[in-house]
Amino acid sequence: MSADNAYAVELKGVSFKRGARSIFNNVDISIPRGKVTGIMGPSGSGKTTLLRLMGAQLRPSAGEVWVNGQNLPKLSRSDLFDARKQMGVLFQSGALFTDLDVFENVAFPLRVHTKLPEDMIRDIVLLKLQAVGLRGAVDLMPDELSGGMKRRVALARAIALDPQILMYDEPFVGQDPIAMGVLVRLIRLLNDALGITSIVVSHDLAETASIADYLYVVGDGQVLGQGTPQELMESDNPRIRQFMTGDPDGPVPFHYPAPDYRDDLLGKR
Amino acid sequence: MLSGVVDYRTGPALREQGAALIKASTEAALTLDCSGVEKSSSVGLSLLLAFMRDAQAAGKLLTVRALPEDMQEIAKVSELTELLQHH
Repeated sequence: MSADNAYAVELKGVSFKRGARSIFNNVDISIPRGKVTGIMGPSGSGKTTLLRLMGAQLRPSAGEVWVNGQNLPKLSRSDLFDARKQMGVLFQSGALFTDLDVFENVAFPLRVHTKLPEDMIRDIVLLKLQAVGLRGAVDLMPDELSGGMKRRVALARAIALDPQILMYDEPFVGQDPIAMGVLVRLIRLLNDALGITSIVVSHDLAETASIADYLYVVGDGQVLGQGTPQELMESDNPRIRQFMTGDPDGPVPFHYPAPDYRDDLLGKR
Repeated sequence: MLSGVVDYRTGPALREQGAALIKASTEAALTLDCSGVEKSSSVGLSLLLAFMRDAQAAGKLLTVRALPEDMQEIAKVSELTELLQHH
């Protein structure tokens, strides 16, 4: 049993393999309750896989995944279904249902998970859309929305069931600066006002560092570092420094390992 | 008096009970006391709105009292505070 109530999510000794390839090896991550935690790392470092492990969409090859005092890999299907209701996910693509209007997209989890009467579903949909500033867009179809609006509708849907934990998968990708600013403000507002635990997976350093209370940097199947954004900025670890400062070359080399260039072009002498 | 845990499980039954109470009442002004609410969510706010609509339809005035903190926070995020106060 996880004893520490200070953490909403704890990965303990988690390993994950795809076929023979190891994606994570013996990873420990603790997500403080009620805070915004950023999980950062280069593209392809397995950040989304971590979210999927926390949401039990994937099972670890080894280790424990504790969410609100429950070890998810050990839960029955029905208990897992209940545990997932406490978690909202904002997917990278937004993942709105393209043939449903904004109202029905936000109402969807309420229709699937509750037996609330129609007038209460309408109330909650409008409350959530008001919170993200899009109540006026309730009758629009997803293809009538800008990228930033889509992401906000997806956020309204993610909070429809008042989750205790909200996971954001690359929320800033492809957003213009205004939409990005709006999202940053919303993530912080929802976290602070509703006491939600927020987990932001991202490689957008500036935005993530600006809202995160705590950061993890992952890479090579491991946690490379953790701390407050300030602590990581001042890290002595060259791998973390390279990521935090965005240097093209460093411990993560610019060049993927390749045979000798001259040999490759002109043949061996 | 609204009390206990108001969430997605208890919401539908509370909706019906409240509607029946409002309908049965002969008073012109009703007060909904929320001081007994232990835990709530957006469902709690939706219930308040539903009861306000029921009261309005019955020509009665419904005042909300002692809104617990978690409901106040959700009300704030959804910009509902004023609407609940000035009904």
